[in-house]
Amino acid sequence: MAVFKPILTRYIHRKDSHTLSGYKNVGGYKALEKMFKTMAPDEVIEEVKASNLRGRGGAGFPTGVKWGFIPKDSQKPTYLICNADEGEPGTFKDRLLLSKAPHMMLEGMIISSFAIDCHLAFIYIRGEFYQEYKVLEKAVEEAYAANFLGKDILGSGFDLDVVIHRGAGAYICGEEMGLIESLEGKRGWPRIKPPFPAVEGYLMCPTIVNNVETLACLPHILNRGADWFKSIGSEKGSGPKLYCISGRVNNPGVYEEPLGILLTDLIFKRGRGLIDGRELKAVFPGGSSSAILRADEIDGLQMDFDSLSAAKTMLGSAGVIVMDETVDMVSVCLNIARFYEHESCGQCTPCREGTTWLVKILNRIYQGKGSLNDIDMIFEITDNIGGLIDPEASGGSFGKTICPFGEAVAWPIRSFVEKFEEEFIAYVEKGVDVS
Amino acid sequence: MNSVGDGQLTFQFSAAERVEQILSQYPDKRSATLPLLHLAQEQVGYLTSAAIETVAELVEVHPGEIMDTVSFYTMFYTKPKGRNHIQVCQTLSCSLNGADSLVDHISEKYKIAPGEVSQDGKISLVKVECLGSCDTAPVIRINDSYYEGMTVEKFDKIVESF
Amino acid sequence: MPLIKIDDREIEVEKGITVLQAATAEGIEIPYYCYHPALSIVGSCRMCLVEIEGMPKLQVSCNTSIGELPPERKKDGKYDMIVRTQTEIVKRERENVLEFLLLNHPLDCPVCDQAGECFLQDYSYKYGRAHSRFLEEKRVRKNEYLGSNVIINHNRCIMCTRCVRFTREISGTNELFVQARGDNSKISIFEDKSLDNLLAGNVIDICPVGALLSTDYIHKNRFWNLEEKKSICTDCSVGCNILVYSQNNRIFRINARENHSVNGYFICDIGRYGFHRYEDAEKVTSPLIRSDGGFKPISWEGALKEIYEQFSRSKDGEKHQIVGIASPFHTNESLFMFGRLMDNIFKDKSIIGKLPFIEDYEIHFDSGFRISKDRSPNRQGLLDFCLNLEDEILQKVKTGKVRLCYALDDGVDRKLDEEWESFFKSQRFLVVQTYAMTPLAKLAHLILPGPSPMEREGTMTNDQGRIQWLKPSVSLTNKTRPDWEIIMEFMNTVGKRELKYSSVNEVNLEMGERFPSYRGMTFFKIGYQGLPKKNIATSRPSEGGQAGNTVT
Repeated sequence: MAVFKPILTRYIHRKDSHTLSGYKNVGGYKALEKMFKTMAPDEVIEEVKASNLRGRGGAGFPTGVKWGFIPKDSQKPTYLICNADEGEPGTFKDRLLLSKAPHMMLEGMIISSFAIDCHLAFIYIRGEFYQEYKVLEKAVEEAYAANFLGKDILGSGFDLDVVIHRGAGAYICGEEMGLIESLEGKRGWPRIKPPFPAVEGYLMCPTIVNNVETLACLPHILNRGADWFKSIGSEKGSGPKLYCISGRVNNPGVYEEPLGILLTDLIFKRGRGLIDGRELKAVFPGGSSSAILRADEIDGLQMDFDSLSAAKTMLGSAGVIVMDETVDMVSVCLNIARFYEHESCGQCTPCREGTTWLVKILNRIYQGKGSLNDIDMIFEITDNIGGLIDPEASGGSFGKTICPFGEAVAWPIRSFVEKFEEEFIAYVEKGVDVS
Repeated sequence: MNSVGDGQLTFQFSAAERVEQILSQYPDKRSATLPLLHLAQEQVGYLTSAAIETVAELVEVHPGEIMDTVSFYTMFYTKPKGRNHIQVCQTLSCSLNGADSLVDHISEKYKIAPGEVSQDGKISLVKVECLGSCDTAPVIRINDSYYEGMTVEKFDKIVESF
Repeated sequence: MPLIKIDDREIEVEKGITVLQAATAEGIEIPYYCYHPALSIVGSCRMCLVEIEGMPKLQVSCNTSIGELPPERKKDGKYDMIVRTQTEIVKRERENVLEFLLLNHPLDCPVCDQAGECFLQDYSYKYGRAHSRFLEEKRVRKNEYLGSNVIINHNRCIMCTRCVRFTREISGTNELFVQARGDNSKISIFEDKSLDNLLAGNVIDICPVGALLSTDYIHKNRFWNLEEKKSICTDCSVGCNILVYSQNNRIFRINARENHSVNGYFICDIGRYGFHRYEDAEKVTSPLIRSDGGFKPISWEGALKEIYEQFSRSKDGEKHQIVGIASPFHTNESLFMFGRLMDNIFKDKSIIGKLPFIEDYEIHFDSGFRISKDRSPNRQGLLDFCLNLEDEILQKVKTGKVRLCYALDDGVDRKLDEEWESFFKSQRFLVVQTYAMTPLAKLAHLILPGPSPMEREGTMTNDQGRIQWLKPSVSLTNKTRPDWEIIMEFMNTVGKRELKYSSVNEVNLEMGERFPSYRGMTFFKIGYQGLPKKNIATSRPSEGGQAGNTVT
């Protein structure tokens, strides 16, 4: 494993990494100065496009392209929202940045705001992150005091206000349209698209929603150039990436590596292998919304957007959850299904009704009261909520719900039954009664 | 009818200037809904009907629309919780690392099931979904603070101070 | 204009309309629940998914608008969009959505008011699976009263949120909301802030299933027993279009009927439940003559003879004054006949007036829906056909004259104050044409039985000058006769005319001849949607002359 010098997390072990002075000491807010002196907003957009930066929240959409969707002739104000509603099971990277490098993210927000001509930006931070909210509050205060925020930032004539907005406990608000509704004071029911948020988002004005990590990449891109950024990782995905490893590994945590690192390296080198030297059984590569991978599927698998989608799963939020040989896949599947049932917003029919149905069936199987037919029904129901993982190959369809939550339920649940069917059958046949 | 059970008929924000500041941050009033609800909940411990109506008045919508919002989010409570509100993450990484036995322990210790408040009002227990701290699983949150890498022993130590 | 293909049909459509609108206009059925043309689009029921060529995902047709493609990108060389609504994938999708919707549905159609007009029933039959694969226990919730005669059966609710959007976007009252989330979501109200607005009943109409029910109608009848009649509401000057449902001459309920020039898709609760006050009234179904302090039935011949006696003969050489009281509750045809009787038969001896208009608050909803302050249906018609209407008739009637009065009763809404009561009491002979024993009727010497508002037929002119046909929802009973016919008999009796109109349509034709702004407003011409009155000035037409020759 080649030695990679962290970019986003390089200084986070320092005690003062979250303070303005700590950040400035390591070159913080230099990108801002450079940008105001030498760049026009369009040039910033072009630079980010050229860097091949793809969104770090889960969908992996090219950031510069997203910015480019803002209508040029809009008379309405433009808004930037930093999506700090981290909630994907197995994901805790944004929390790290929020608490250890808030200024890096803020600098990214100022860059993004400048590029899209936004003068009021929001940080939507999940409600549970109260301590991080406090850190952020302090950071914003410091940034105002140092004129990195407020009127006429660094004499550039550019104004920007930043408001921190706390969520209140809803996974779905990490979805950009759900987040926007929530910011507007409503329930987080994702709005149907089109119109897309870049055209009609917050208060029906052009709005860009960028993930914390995405924003934190921006100062580095401006400092060191798109080519440098692009040179990290591979063609399939550029730049540094924060990977989260949790579950049954010896050394869980956030690790910064280039996009495209081997999954096995993450688990066995960074995560230092499995607890008690157990055998690997399965792994979620990108949070619980990604299809699960069996131990025999991960050899040589690179952790980037395209490689993982070729493996019929996804990079998602890069939340790697490791399961060892002792883990009961039926109970894990039920755990995940219950999570989605709890977090389904209830707006679309398939997701509202289907998640509950899945939990009921899985519960029954788990209690030893299932039948083989139930296993078939899980396939059917997941297909009906979220479509097949590979619609072309199976002649099916996908996109059955307003937001990607449908797929986020269906794909992992289906993958459990597909890849560990024998465990489900065992439950059914032996009538295992765990309770 | 929803069940907002409380005997408090009136509500007034104690931090009037904070309310003003919150309202002034947003381009429209309604966006201030979540922060105002947080503020109200901090004040009373949960959201009384009167608090909901007060927020509705401030952001100029029907109280039903505020209740719509309140009922959507798990962190808003319309019933009193314990002075120490224990939230145990039960999602995968925490579950793989022993969250269930933590819940059992707390239940046993305080004689309350998840979702209940202890008789003396000191403790309430809920199971929650992923708290976003999977590397330090299992994780619990007591009021606004995270307690990571929990064990039964660690928990008992923490609550000694309650 | 974009050219699209839906299944095998080529359609030219207006740019910007949605696939669902285009298909519906073309008579291609795409099933849906959450969509409603008057409400914002949420796209949540997922029932209207279709395949669109070039799009990897199925698309909700309610939120897919049709644009124009540049020539080089046209599909098949000419189409701006190719839509498929009948493919296997689409059909399977519908099956799946229906299966999800029916999971917790109680399937209690035998006791459900919506049965027979239920989109869950119809679509399940057409597009659903024949059997259920759900082995679990169903979610069960208790019914709740939401307010304004509306109850909700949560078990039947499919969370389309039409009702919530209605209170936010149409009534603007916001009482309804979605409580909780996911599978726990349900329609709710906040504490004591119940559904309380004059448009509330519409949520029952727009509920596509049997979840929202009217306390006024619940368990009273089955849809298939009911006869549906298209008519208009007579409870204010807006003239909302309605559907009246009856069985055996009894009205069970009234629903809104779509008319974009009048009421859109909705009606108010005044009109929706107003028919009960006719049921509650003491009906008059035979001519009645005052006798021994009360009334006794007489035959029509007897009644007309009495009218002849009183109105045609000058008793004791006294001078008569004939007082006609017209009513804005009556049809144009009746008022036309009444005007003819007064102006052309009684001529100078007559004076025509009316009771004070029945008014209340004008109510405007932000969505544009309106309840007129004028709570009579045809003030405009009254003004158009009773040209010499005296506003201050109490002051204008001459003292010292024998007064004979013929009054068209306003009906059950009419109250009389002391002044009017003594006015009517001072008439030597008072004929009241009515359908109920109203305070006015009680003062009469002779009562002539006319139809109730639900039995009337003819045109009404609303306060925007739109002429609409009031169609009878139930038929006349016993000795009741149409108002125009009674007035015609009155004319024949006292004016020695030989008018023989056999239907209201003939009166309508004659009316059009004499009042050009009403010319050609036959039912065949204006149909169930009505037409604006023509903008032609009217002067007083005379009886007998060539039709229209006195019109300037």
